[in-house]
Amino acid sequence: MGSWSASSVLFTIVVVAAFGFFSYNVQRLVGELQLGRHDDSRWNDLPRRFWNFLQIGIFQKKIFRDGVAGPMHAAIFWGFCVLTLGTIEMILGGIAPGFSFAPYVPAPVYAFYEMNQNLWGALVLAAVSFALFRRITKRVKRLQGKETHADDPLLILSWIGALMITMFASHATTGIVHDLFWWSHALLVLGFLNYLPYSKHLHVVVSLPNVFLSNTSGPGVIGAMRPMDLESDIAVFGAKDVTDLSWKSLLDGFACTECGRCTSVCPANLTGKLLNPRKIVINVRERLEAEAKGDHSKTLLDDFITEEELWSCTTCRACVQECPVSIDQLSVILELRRNLVLGESRFPEEVMPAFESMEQRGSPWAFDPGDRGKWAAGLDIPTMAEMAGRNQRPEVLYWVGCMGSFDDRAKKTTVAFAKILKAANVNFAILGQEEKCNGDAARRMGNEYLYQMLAKENIETLERYGVKTVVTACPHCFHQIGNEYPQFGGNYDVVHHSTYIESLMAAGRVPLRDDLHEPVRTFTYHDSCYLGRYNDVYSAPRETLKRALPMLNLVEMPRSKDRGLCCGAGGGRMFMEEKVGKRINAERAEEALATGADAIAVACPFCMTMMADSVKSRDSHVDVYDVAEVVAGRLA
Amino acid sequence: MKIAVLIKRVPDMDVRFKIAPSGTAVDESGLKFDISDFDGYAVEAALQLKEKQADPAASEVVVISLGPDVVQETLRKAMSMGADRAVQLKHDAPLHDSYAIATALAAELKGGAYDLVMFGRMSIDTANQSTGTIVAELLGLPIVTAISQLTVNGGQVTARRELEGAYELIACPLPAVVSIDEGIARPRYPSLKGIMAAKKKPLETKPAQVGEERYKLDKMELPPERAAGRIIGEGKDAVPELVRLLKEEAKVL
Repeated sequence: MGSWSASSVLFTIVVVAAFGFFSYNVQRLVGELQLGRHDDSRWNDLPRRFWNFLQIGIFQKKIFRDGVAGPMHAAIFWGFCVLTLGTIEMILGGIAPGFSFAPYVPAPVYAFYEMNQNLWGALVLAAVSFALFRRITKRVKRLQGKETHADDPLLILSWIGALMITMFASHATTGIVHDLFWWSHALLVLGFLNYLPYSKHLHVVVSLPNVFLSNTSGPGVIGAMRPMDLESDIAVFGAKDVTDLSWKSLLDGFACTECGRCTSVCPANLTGKLLNPRKIVINVRERLEAEAKGDHSKTLLDDFITEEELWSCTTCRACVQECPVSIDQLSVILELRRNLVLGESRFPEEVMPAFESMEQRGSPWAFDPGDRGKWAAGLDIPTMAEMAGRNQRPEVLYWVGCMGSFDDRAKKTTVAFAKILKAANVNFAILGQEEKCNGDAARRMGNEYLYQMLAKENIETLERYGVKTVVTACPHCFHQIGNEYPQFGGNYDVVHHSTYIESLMAAGRVPLRDDLHEPVRTFTYHDSCYLGRYNDVYSAPRETLKRALPMLNLVEMPRSKDRGLCCGAGGGRMFMEEKVGKRINAERAEEALATGADAIAVACPFCMTMMADSVKSRDSHVDVYDVAEVVAGRLA
Repeated sequence: MKIAVLIKRVPDMDVRFKIAPSGTAVDESGLKFDISDFDGYAVEAALQLKEKQADPAASEVVVISLGPDVVQETLRKAMSMGADRAVQLKHDAPLHDSYAIATALAAELKGGAYDLVMFGRMSIDTANQSTGTIVAELLGLPIVTAISQLTVNGGQVTARRELEGAYELIACPLPAVVSIDEGIARPRYPSLKGIMAAKKKPLETKPAQVGEERYKLDKMELPPERAAGRIIGEGKDAVPELVRLLKEEAKVL
């Protein structure tokens, strides 16, 4: 570019204008975020946040969950990181002609840097070409959807391609042709920067901070819902509009690039329901932008997101798990549900008996609370009250849960687990009549008032007996008592029965029959969402099965572990009718049966009901067992 | 329009009851209480009537309950559904004679200038089905019992009653007393907004002017436990034994 010239003066003006306009947009967007609810849970545990930032952000951990799009995106992302250095050099060179990093670093370093500029430039060009090709020819299902801005990616990808071509061309040419390419490249860079705030590709800027500020992979308890202060948190219950959502939920709207991975794993969406997690996030941004422009004529709830969408959610957390930039779709769904229930009493009518029964009888089913401990008749299992009467305190409290206490199928699991505990000489007791529903279904259905009533009563009971360790066969009880009761002062060591049995077996405490004549059995294990994605328990149930059945052939379904498909009963769906599309449990049972396994193992009473019902309705002879039943069946 | 709804606090019926040591009452320990089902329908029907008025704010739904202070909880629930205010007619001792209860209710209703007085068809615990009728008689008002639909139009109430395989429509002038059958409306679930609002609504407590009880409850007894069933065998071979037992033991053949 020669010496100080009209060109460099002009370029300086262009750069200042471009950054000025960009900073105006940053301020605009920050102003939009400030329309959201105060949320101070985003700056704690910085080491953990940096770790998420590195793993999920820089190293693209979740991006790589898709074997095709993963490497493609990583090439573009890492390319951008490298090429940004080159862009800085170029801009400085445009302002101060002749500027280069070369004099400031050792020659080999500069050579390495230059080589990388070329290498990554080529990789980015290859990746965007592939991305364009894939977009145009392959019509990848998850990238489609009428809620998406379908033309935007074509523009953006072409733009990036043009950036690379002009960069290479300016390097390869001299004179006026070079100047032409140089200016094209510079203007494309600055234009790109200023196009982002108006595009779904704002994610280029927002993703990394979003990953840093997100709580979906910790810090804090994963999957725990925000506790409401029912005395003061009542101006609006939950959220009716974007202004009631946390500013972080609004940032999620900016971070979304509409990749559709969330929707592609949503059990409701996969089986033909209206729910579409990506649409929820896109709606948040759309509504926020309208609100920021002073349009108060619509609300997020009803005008953008309908009741039907919200009630389709099983809270399985697959969408949250899958999002490469740690967006929390679920928190929006759950806050909107709170508004429906607490503010307006709007919910599917079949839920009413469950709410009423939880309130009246401490169980979503209308059973006599006096019968809660009936399954234990004749098994010589003491209640906490009986032990306290003898001035004794058991090693562990076995929290049975409503299904385990009242549901005929689940009671078999309950008895099986109790037999294992007895065989292992565990000193345990149950609460019997004093146990109440943990409240999970009420909370997930938005009824925080009912939930807190149940949680506080249960905590009071547990405190009264000085309970330290709780074991339970229900992942919903497990998650609630272990992860959400601490919000109300209940701190216990809560262990799921699969983990507990495994540790008993590992310690040699469970006497099994000799295995000389055990037949070879083929099992597949269905992951419970609240055990797996919420609590990262994947190996314990599998290990338990292997220890119990020495001749076991354990086959995995295509969707297993953190990609497991929900049974359809979570988030209160257990109590709602499933009228639209295919039944989720049918989808899952078919997947399980397709493995050719002769039995399906589960570790959750809700999964048990859903899987057993669906398997039975197919006239299949495949058995569904709880892991505890498998072990109990092998007791010596 | 001014509507009174008389509500009763009853135990949750989906439990097995025990008799208290007195032998004349249910052992209330561990029982959960709620508004009687039919009374809940009546509250809902009253609220819907109010909401249908041209100016709902000009109408008032007053819920009234007789009993010890625990009935305040039931009254608050009705207010959390949307009733405007509540009256507790305080009376601590148990009452059995509907006439005595009706006397106290009528004393409260008289002079209250209510256009419509609503009862549940019966309380689901004692099921006497008589209090509403006696109150109407004491007030000198017409009563339509066990109605499944209700419209109010220009000083006249039209009510539908379900009969065996038919129904009848009855019209009568206001003020009137009606008792509500199921099918009229499903009671709404109180929102937290409603629960918060109910805490601030007026609840007036006054002594119940209970009339004289003309009968007393002598004794309560549980039905005898059913004997457990027996499996006498499976398939064809079991038939002769079954027939023999049906003849000789059950004496039904």
